[in-house]
Amino acid sequence: MGSILLVAELQKGKIREATYELVSFARKLAEGTGRQVHSLVLGASAGGPAEELAKRGGGQVHLAEDASLEHYQLDPFLKVVQAAVDAASPDVVLLSNTPTGWDLAPRLAAARDAAFVSDCFDLQVQGESLVFLRRLFNGKLDARMVPTLPVVATMQPGATAAFEGSSQGQVSKLDAGLAGVESRTEFVEVREAEKKGVDLTKASIIVSGGRSLGGPEKFQEVIKPLADALGGAMGASRPVVDAGWLPHAYQVGSSGQVVSPKLYIAAGISGAIQHLVGMKSSNYIIAINKDPDAPIFEVADLGVVADLFEVVPALTKAVKEAKA
Amino acid sequence: MKILVCLKQVPHADARLDVRPDGSWIQEENIKFEINSYDTYALEEALRIKDAGGAEVVVASIGPDRVTQALRTALGMGADRAIHVKDPEAEGSDALGVAKILAAVAKAESPDVVLMGLMADDGNFAAVGPMLAELIGVPHTTTALKLEKANGTFTVQRELEGGALEVVKLGAPCLITVQTGTNQVRYASLKGIMAAKKKPIETRTVADLGLAGQVGAGAAKVRVEKIYPPPKGEGAEILKGSTDEVVAKLMGKIKELGLL
Ligand SMILES: Cc1cc2nc3c(=O)[nH]c(=O)nc-3n(C[C@H](O)[C@H](O)[C@H](O)COP(=O)(O)OP(=O)(O)OC[C@H]3O[C@@H](n4cnc5c(N)ncnc54)[C@H](O)[C@@H]3O)c2cc1C
Ligand SMILES: Nc1ncnc2c1ncn2[C@@H]1O[C@H](COP(=O)(O)O)[C@@H](O)[C@H]1O
Repeated sequence: MGSILLVAELQKGKIREATYELVSFARKLAEGTGRQVHSLVLGASAGGPAEELAKRGGGQVHLAEDASLEHYQLDPFLKVVQAAVDAASPDVVLLSNTPTGWDLAPRLAAARDAAFVSDCFDLQVQGESLVFLRRLFNGKLDARMVPTLPVVATMQPGATAAFEGSSQGQVSKLDAGLAGVESRTEFVEVREAEKKGVDLTKASIIVSGGRSLGGPEKFQEVIKPLADALGGAMGASRPVVDAGWLPHAYQVGSSGQVVSPKLYIAAGISGAIQHLVGMKSSNYIIAINKDPDAPIFEVADLGVVADLFEVVPALTKAVKEAKA
Repeated sequence: MKILVCLKQVPHADARLDVRPDGSWIQEENIKFEINSYDTYALEEALRIKDAGGAEVVVASIGPDRVTQALRTALGMGADRAIHVKDPEAEGSDALGVAKILAAVAKAESPDVVLMGLMADDGNFAAVGPMLAELIGVPHTTTALKLEKANGTFTVQRELEGGALEVVKLGAPCLITVQTGTNQVRYASLKGIMAAKKKPIETRTVADLGLAGQVGAGAAKVRVEKIYPPPKGEGAEILKGSTDEVVAKLMGKIKELGLL
């Protein structure tokens, strides 16, 4: 049997929380199958983080340090992960489903002619097989997927709790043979998100609309009046911003704002994970959706299964009357 | 400059999704299909490069007969040629199988750049792009929000978390996967649709591509054990009644929260 190799990710010089979630998954698998846990830490200067990971469940930690690893760049990163795979002989390789993970992991799988599953929220041992659980159709359905081994998998950040235990792992240097490797992709810079326009994170009430609003005028006619009546702010799902109906500052979700108002009203939003991570810690959530099976109802406190074009204007009228 | 755009046809965003009785996939009969949203942005980027300085835009799709519709739409929008890999042997391929088929197409076409969607709206794998890049031996980047081309080099702004951007440069030949919202996608004009009728859709089988036995359900390394509606947790308290009744209850709650 092979081992488990998890690929750690650094953020501002530290091990990302998502990596400790990989540790939790790896330990669960190790306990269920007797596999050994290996980790890979790579960066320009990553000795400290490697020691930290070794103390917090990372098992046998392989450390690769090189100036070319300061930022994510495809060729040197792939080369190092390949070297770690050669060193640890894993039959399960775990990465986080982050911008680095989704750039690197499928390419690694193709390079090793291995099975690949992405954005999994759980894994289970089923006899000799491993089952990976993941969402399909932007959260509307779930799937149980059984890969042949070896498998490369990316796990959804936040899907499990970070590993908090301690253990006695060892750190060893990995010679990845990076001398002479030229990166065909060149990292130029990271531009932090610009803060301009509305600041949704300060709003105590947010009324958000989704793709089903159908056009920019509907936001002005249906969503904004309710937000105004409640003294709150307007928000939106990504397709609304993609279509240019509202500026990016209004977008709630993993690639927009993460908000936690006292009240979040989601109108005509299905509840894809990328939207949920942006609003699920709101104090109170009301969802209005005509599909009783919409995933948004799973995180909402109160739900209305109805046409938003009927309920939202009626609610707006009632709020205005109550305030008059 | 030659650009290959890989398009997948997926169930329409508003289609009813019913699971087949055996749990293997959704029922595809009697639902509407459309071009994967991410791929429409990739196609638009290709057409903009064509409009700006000339390029041949070839679109490729793997799938059954219905896919002709998607390819016709792409030709109507301005693509020059279409390749349709139409073969029951391709059905049931996993992402790696799809990538192997597209790699065979790409090798025969030798494009300067391959543009793809970041992911398909059905399986949400986000896998085929980087896999294809590996199989054809070109560099890639993912999640492009902005592409600029100068002297055979692409400068790409890729989306990171929370709205941050990473600027990456890569030279042709290369592969780039495109995120939604990158541009405003054009509609096929009536003139475009008429012109598209004369444009070729070439079909290929798995055997034509030299991949007999290497792709499809039999060769897949990932098996879908079953798909199912997500289990319901505690979930929301669902309000019942007429609009007036529901609104009265919502008002009660908002007052209780001290927000009125
Ligand atoms: C890397 C990445 C980052 C992303 N970042 C974000 C992000 O930051 N924020 C975000 O929101 N998404 C993000 N997404 C996109 C996300 O996956 C979903 O596609 C998106 O959230 C769906 O938006 P929606 O709910 O408006 O549309 P849909 O999923 O199409 O849902 C529309 C909903 O409206 C309902 N409906 C239709 N008509 C009515 C009516 N008359 N009355 C009531 N209900 C109605 C339908 O039942 C359906 O549930 C990201 C995706 C990726 C891959
Ligand atoms: N059957 C297919 N035909 C053509 N292109 C595809 C097909 N499946 C996936 N792709 C391409 O690969 C991208 C990513 O898909 P996926 O990895 O399945 O999420 C899509 O956006 C398409 O560009």
